Amino acid sequence: MNEDNKITDKKVIETEVTMGTVHSAAIEPYRVRLFVEDEIVRDAEITVGINHRGIERIMEGLPVEKANSLTEKICGICSNSHIWNSVLVAEKAIGIDVPERAQYIRVIMEELERLHSHMLYLAHGSEVLGHETFAMRVFYIRETVMELLRMIGGNRVQYGVSIIGGVRPRCELDEMRIQKIREGMDIIDEKISEFADRFVSDPMIMARITGVGVLSQKQAIALAATGPTLRSTGVELDLRREMEAYDPFEFDIITQDDGDVKSNLLCRVLEIPEATKIIRQALDHLPDGKITNRSWEMQDAPITKSYIEVPRGKLYHSYALEDGRVRNSIVRTPSITNIGAMQYAAVGHHITDAQLAIVQCDPCFTCTDRAIQIIKI
Amino acid sequence: MSLKSYSRARAIHVMLVYTGGCNGCDIEIVNCIFSPKYDAEQYKVFLTWNPREADVLVVTGPVTKHNEKPLIEIYNAIPEPKAVIAAGACALMGGVYKNIHGDIPSEEIAGPVDKIIPVDAKVPGCAVRPEDILSGVVAALPLLLNAK
Repeated sequence: MNEDNKITDKKVIETEVTMGTVHSAAIEPYRVRLFVEDEIVRDAEITVGINHRGIERIMEGLPVEKANSLTEKICGICSNSHIWNSVLVAEKAIGIDVPERAQYIRVIMEELERLHSHMLYLAHGSEVLGHETFAMRVFYIRETVMELLRMIGGNRVQYGVSIIGGVRPRCELDEMRIQKIREGMDIIDEKISEFADRFVSDPMIMARITGVGVLSQKQAIALAATGPTLRSTGVELDLRREMEAYDPFEFDIITQDDGDVKSNLLCRVLEIPEATKIIRQALDHLPDGKITNRSWEMQDAPITKSYIEVPRGKLYHSYALEDGRVRNSIVRTPSITNIGAMQYAAVGHHITDAQLAIVQCDPCFTCTDRAIQIIKI
Repeated sequence: MSLKSYSRARAIHVMLVYTGGCNGCDIEIVNCIFSPKYDAEQYKVFLTWNPREADVLVVTGPVTKHNEKPLIEIYNAIPEPKAVIAAGACALMGGVYKNIHGDIPSEEIAGPVDKIIPVDAKVPGCAVRPEDILSGVVAALPLLLNAK
């Protein structure tokens, strides 16, 4: 659908609709320029960089433990993913063995975070669709996960579970906590399947989201879209298959075919039962033993890289170690390429669907504003 | 009680402005109003995105340089009487983004919020808890209701 609507010369198009930087339709500040012809979007341009706080610069020269906890403040939605990946870099660089029990707890936290992130996406998507009741329903289900996160980490948003060599002592899972997580998973499975049934069987919503914001598989690969945005175009790629921590678990990679808003939504809805499946497996086979390996010594290391799969896609962290301090820190979040891809997904659709098409990739602008420049393809 | 404050007592409209924090506070605030567990709408507190409809402005984040001007514009667009609530550690004192520099001026951060616009209530926390937001809004209410 999109390939017929090639991006035309901007000078020819007279009408330009600009949104931002602060706009009622977008919670986070960013700027969208839509070039419109006969109410059809011919070109879209998204500007990021309003939230730039220079966190990589702040991390430079900090002790590695402090820098790790600072990465959590990059994003309040996927905070655990950031701290986990940052800790993995240090563990890889120094060569620290992580106890198996700590790996399991980290996986449980990551999957809980995936649950709450995907539910937030569903709520936000419903709100953009104009369906506030659905948004409230999803927020209600999400509250179960938030309570579990608060129970394990002690805070609802920034919980700082991973430390170098394992997890914090506070995050030990005892019998009572395991029981509560199990109960929570049962509630989520039941409620989400109920929600999905209602959502899919609503003809108004399906008419609104089917065939809107189509990103073809070719485009998604060319623009390096990651995560569910890529998987919703039919590419079976999930870094969790290659991560050491996920080796013991069985799960399916969810793919959809169309690459439109419907595929994106369904891809995330179907990933929720997979996440609960992983959590159940981890609780069933939780190994005994220590949760922290304290017998390691700090040493200098060259620039070390680490990739992990987070709710939105592929997350990259790298830094070098010098006297226990962080040097040359680079963070690359999945949203940057996904937002770039959305410039193309909005093209060729009605202007009222533009916001929906941009939101479909679950954009997180606070993650995105790093010192990275994307050169136009 | 004037007609204005009589009607305002029946519908407080809150506008949320995000100025460059980590998203954690914003979602907790939206959560606090939308989520059926906290459900601020039962106390007749509603979320709006239009400054001309708003009574209370909730600001999160350390106010990056790019966000300074829009924030002042939004503040000026809200009709009197109005109340401003700074929510979260970043809005109160710049959080990790500002304080990490010590006395060296930050190149990216213009905040905290009370440097730019007058603040009536401050809600601490990283991230703020939904319960605290509710008590922050309640603390700012006399400003609105007692205004002539």
